Amino acid sequence: MTQDTPQEAVLAIRSLSVVYVGRRSAAQAVTEVDLEVQNNEILGLVGESGCGKTTLAVAMLGLIEPPGKVIGGAVQIRTHDHSTQDILKVKPSLHRQLLWKEIAYIPQGSMSALNPVKRVREQLTDTLIEHGLKKNEALERARWALQVVSLDAAILERYPHELSGGMVQRVAIAGAISMQPPVLVADEPTTALDVVTQRSILQELVSIREKFGSAILLISHDMGVMAQIADRIAVMYAGRIVEIGSIHQVFASPLHPYTKKLINAIPNARGRESGERLIGLGGESPNIWRHPPGCRFHPRCEFAIERCSQQAPVFTSPNGSSGQRVACHLY
Amino acid sequence: MADLLTVTSLGQIFGTMTTVQAVDDVSFTMPKEPSIFNLVGESGSGKTTIARIILGLQKPTAGHVLYNNTDIGSKDKQWQTLFHREVQAVFQNPYSVYNPVYKVDRVLQTPIRKFKLSRSQQESREMIESSLRAVDLRPGDVLGKYPHQLSGGQRQRVMLARIHLIQPRLIIADEAVSMVDAAGRVTFLNVLLDFRERLNISTLYITHDLSTAQYLGGNIIVLYKGRIVEAGLTREVTKNPLHPYARLLIQSIPAPDPNKRWAEKLPLNMAEMSLVQSTNRARCLFAERCPNVMDACWQTRPELRKAPTDNTHEVACHLY
Repeated sequence: MTQDTPQEAVLAIRSLSVVYVGRRSAAQAVTEVDLEVQNNEILGLVGESGCGKTTLAVAMLGLIEPPGKVIGGAVQIRTHDHSTQDILKVKPSLHRQLLWKEIAYIPQGSMSALNPVKRVREQLTDTLIEHGLKKNEALERARWALQVVSLDAAILERYPHELSGGMVQRVAIAGAISMQPPVLVADEPTTALDVVTQRSILQELVSIREKFGSAILLISHDMGVMAQIADRIAVMYAGRIVEIGSIHQVFASPLHPYTKKLINAIPNARGRESGERLIGLGGESPNIWRHPPGCRFHPRCEFAIERCSQQAPVFTSPNGSSGQRVACHLY
Repeated sequence: MADLLTVTSLGQIFGTMTTVQAVDDVSFTMPKEPSIFNLVGESGSGKTTIARIILGLQKPTAGHVLYNNTDIGSKDKQWQTLFHREVQAVFQNPYSVYNPVYKVDRVLQTPIRKFKLSRSQQESREMIESSLRAVDLRPGDVLGKYPHQLSGGQRQRVMLARIHLIQPRLIIADEAVSMVDAAGRVTFLNVLLDFRERLNISTLYITHDLSTAQYLGGNIIVLYKGRIVEAGLTREVTKNPLHPYARLLIQSIPAPDPNKRWAEKLPLNMAEMSLVQSTNRARCLFAERCPNVMDACWQTRPELRKAPTDNTHEVACHLY
């Protein structure tokens, strides 16, 4: 995606902050996150487990439950009828309509997202009927959605346990696209799958983007997955976005020391053949109850300077107008 | 010299009315010298069943497993104690092995008590701390904490610290990093490599993730529906896979390079095992997914043979 001709984003997260409220203090899970996703774009959100990716996904859908709490920000979505709505501010009845119709969620571990005692037919049609479709329309729509994800309609009569992991994930995707929402949020959609199934599911997301021009926010900890299908990538660390740019820019010239470490920690044969070892990230993952002052990455950063422990870095674009931005005092 | 682990013609059939052959004629050996052996396959390939059989948690319906030349079903109590000390497991879910009401310290104190590894409180404390450091953990970060207070990667590394205390000969790691994120994986794998190099501990590494097996090196077996389809040096097999399934696996590893994206979309029949399970096993079980399928593949079971390319490499495919 080129940034030269700014397009109105179909989804815009503005300065979103989410905390988990404890007895004595609050944990900063997501802090002032800004993200925009355009039509026909896959934006990857990458980070270690515990960095706030899933909290961000759940919160932006307006689905966070106590002790989680949104303490600031907005999530603007441009709807089918070209109005703009803030998911976090609309009244509950409209919120229910926005979900599925304008934005849908493909959860992590779909096996647990499906109801084990319901056939695929009911799993898919119940939501559609809830959104005002008649029973036969809903069934027609469910058939269509299954076909989009390359599944046979015979699967409608199956129970989730009769399906393979890949098929369950396809059913979840079929459910998400059944109302043809312009925005999809896929949270670790391939985590427990073997590589072959993972590849076919990721390719399914790509073809959905191509067919419908969907905007997809893809959440994963796997840089390989990002490299394969994301157009742009946002790197999250300890609740903040630290770098964002096109996938080619970020892989060719990562700016943030954390991004560099993530890219260098991908296991494959390359390093080992020459007898080299990859270096893990070192140090421990951040504690959301007690973030360090300044840049949250500084205790693990080998390039940290004095300023890093004093002042939180703001976004800059060191490579000019290329669209790659980084929050780091080194630039 | 005898081998550390000898697995011979292992078979496991589950069920009575309708049966599933989870493991079908699997044989391999691990040498006495410290080594890494990878078992790779998707879910349903039989890899976890093989691990359970080797650990003595399950009796196979065919074949046997020798550890140091003795059948692991041996009734000798002393031998069993030794076996359970020398062979240690790390499982997929690092949460389920902890009792949530006890502090993490307990999983480290238990083996010290059970195997009488130390003579004093002071000595056990020192042992625990040095084992934690050996797996790249700071004792202060984990001791005195409850399991839920640690990250998945930390919990998995505490299991490695436990292994470091026990100093076994063989680690059976079954999907040990599947629930750990990419950054934590490297640390875990490096500890396994360290254990082999410094402590002479071998690892049987069981995974669906070929890239981590590739990183560990050593030897590899690729399993499909309970059968070995390809075996050899990890370096050889991953560089020059022969079986169409092994090729598909390797081509499906997401290359961390946006300039090396998958070219064509995978046809659905290749992407997934079909829902209809055929009971006829006198054929190649990959036939319905294979892009190179021939008549012979439906008619006879391909035997595991030496590959035409080099004699360390074996493949079970009618193409060769």
